[in-house]
Amino acid sequence: MRRNELFFWMTVSFSLLIMAFILIPLIRMMTAPSFSGLQEAFRDEEVMRSIWLSIYTAGWAALISFVLGTPLAYLLARVDFAGKRLVESIIDLPIVIPHPVVGIAILGVAGRGSWVGEILADLGIRIMGSVTGIVTVLTFVGLPFYVKAAKEGFESISPRLERVSRNLGASMFHTFFRITFPLAWRSLFIGLIMCAARAISEFGAVVVVAYHPMIAPVMIYERFEAYGLKYSQPVAVWLVSICLLLFLLLRFLTLRRKIEI
Amino acid sequence: MKKTKFFSWAIVVLMAAGLLSAAQAFGEPQGKLTMFHAGSLSVPFKAMEKTFEAKYPKVDLQREAAGSQACARKVTDLKKPCDIMASADYKVIDKLLIPNYADWNVRFATNQLVLCYTEKSKDANQVNKDNWFQILAKKGIVWGHSDPNLDPCGYRALMVLQLAEKHYKQPGLYEKLLANRPKANIRPKSVELVSLLQTGNMDYAWEYLSVAVQHGLKYILLPDEINLGNYQFDKFYSQAVVKVTGKKPGTFMEMKGGSVTYGITMIKNAPNREAAVAFLKYMLDPQGGLKVLKDQGQPPFVPCRIPSAKMKALIPGELQGLVEVKN
Repeated sequence: MRRNELFFWMTVSFSLLIMAFILIPLIRMMTAPSFSGLQEAFRDEEVMRSIWLSIYTAGWAALISFVLGTPLAYLLARVDFAGKRLVESIIDLPIVIPHPVVGIAILGVAGRGSWVGEILADLGIRIMGSVTGIVTVLTFVGLPFYVKAAKEGFESISPRLERVSRNLGASMFHTFFRITFPLAWRSLFIGLIMCAARAISEFGAVVVVAYHPMIAPVMIYERFEAYGLKYSQPVAVWLVSICLLLFLLLRFLTLRRKIEI
Repeated sequence: MKKTKFFSWAIVVLMAAGLLSAAQAFGEPQGKLTMFHAGSLSVPFKAMEKTFEAKYPKVDLQREAAGSQACARKVTDLKKPCDIMASADYKVIDKLLIPNYADWNVRFATNQLVLCYTEKSKDANQVNKDNWFQILAKKGIVWGHSDPNLDPCGYRALMVLQLAEKHYKQPGLYEKLLANRPKANIRPKSVELVSLLQTGNMDYAWEYLSVAVQHGLKYILLPDEINLGNYQFDKFYSQAVVKVTGKKPGTFMEMKGGSVTYGITMIKNAPNREAAVAFLKYMLDPQGGLKVLKDQGQPPFVPCRIPSAKMKALIPGELQGLVEVKN
């Protein structure tokens, strides 16, 4: 792009506007709590427990999406079949459904009083008010982000490479794990991060299924209602900082890995 | 000569008509009217909104339902513009809004606690007002209430249990019942328990009578001594004490039992004062909003009550005739 043209400056100014739109409210929120408030929240066992529970459950949601979503993403990237568009829109559904509806729907299917719920109960698995329930909800809302990223990742790898491997006598299984997977790994990893990030921010669906044990967004809400902004903001600041740090670290690691490949 | 006289009269009449219509335009409430109210008031207020907006088509009443305490927080902490705030416990207005955000507090309705269930609930065919506390103590029965720290219905449910221990002469009942209610069965506000009942994830839940009626749930009516619905038993109710969270994390305060009394107020710098007064005038009218409440299973105070003559002097003149001083 030529710098002396109006078009260039238009793109720059719009981009700056968006940066400001995202950053100003966040910076304001991050700088609102006092230092002593932050310290107090950091020493508060309940706060830290809820933040770790958030990271833990979101991590599980990402892992489950990885194991269950990768084959689907691969299928969507490589195979053309009737109804493919339909499958793709079904995967997008969790993004558009209002969050509390997600919670109620999951409780309706996997809770007490339904046959799925009864089977789960016999197996000793409880959805309502349990970590299992939280992970279920977070997987539901996070899965689309992983599948989409993974699909694009697989699509960017030329099927020719796979064909070469197959012609040289490797099985489909070997080809996938030795050729496709390592090449797509970076996209898959970014998908995992997106999935986990989406999961960490979920509130509406979780609060229907599990108020206790409290994940961080639920605790931020509870703190706000019971004590006001002064005591909910520090929790938010810690959640955002810890997650930001984790995600930056993960991105940094994957970037380095790309160079190795 | 006659002609000019006619013209000057005509001009006077026209001007007067113009002035009148201008005055009417000024006097007629219009625009957005914002109201924060307790979740348990959602159904009657929705009905009132319809009638009110039919009467004042230029006003758009926008309601936000939340826990009563959350409603107050939106005003005090988030500084969200709001005209009217209605709470399921009038004490929330006293505690959080007066004196900085509101001047007065009108008590307009009562309610009572009931134990809700559905035909799918376990032991639904046996439960009655004499054995409910035995059923709630049974293993495998899932029952719950809302968060006592956020929702008045939550601490009131706990008060009912404490009073039941005294009324039914069952020492240790309160602790025994709570031992059978894992934390997982608590939700932020009582209306959220309704969907748990309806999906079969919960057998019994504590709700206000009005909520039970409005959602078509089955319910057990409790004796006046424990249902918190009759202020003549206020002295007996005051034996119930529930510890809830205080002003900051880690601190606590005690809530004493009392009859369920709803309060409403206008926020001091209400953006649409005119429409707010018009709504309150309709709502506090025994033939208007109070009748809607009554039809929805929530007994109103007729007339509504204000605790002191000093506070009565602070309410808008148009509402003076609709309230009486009674503590």
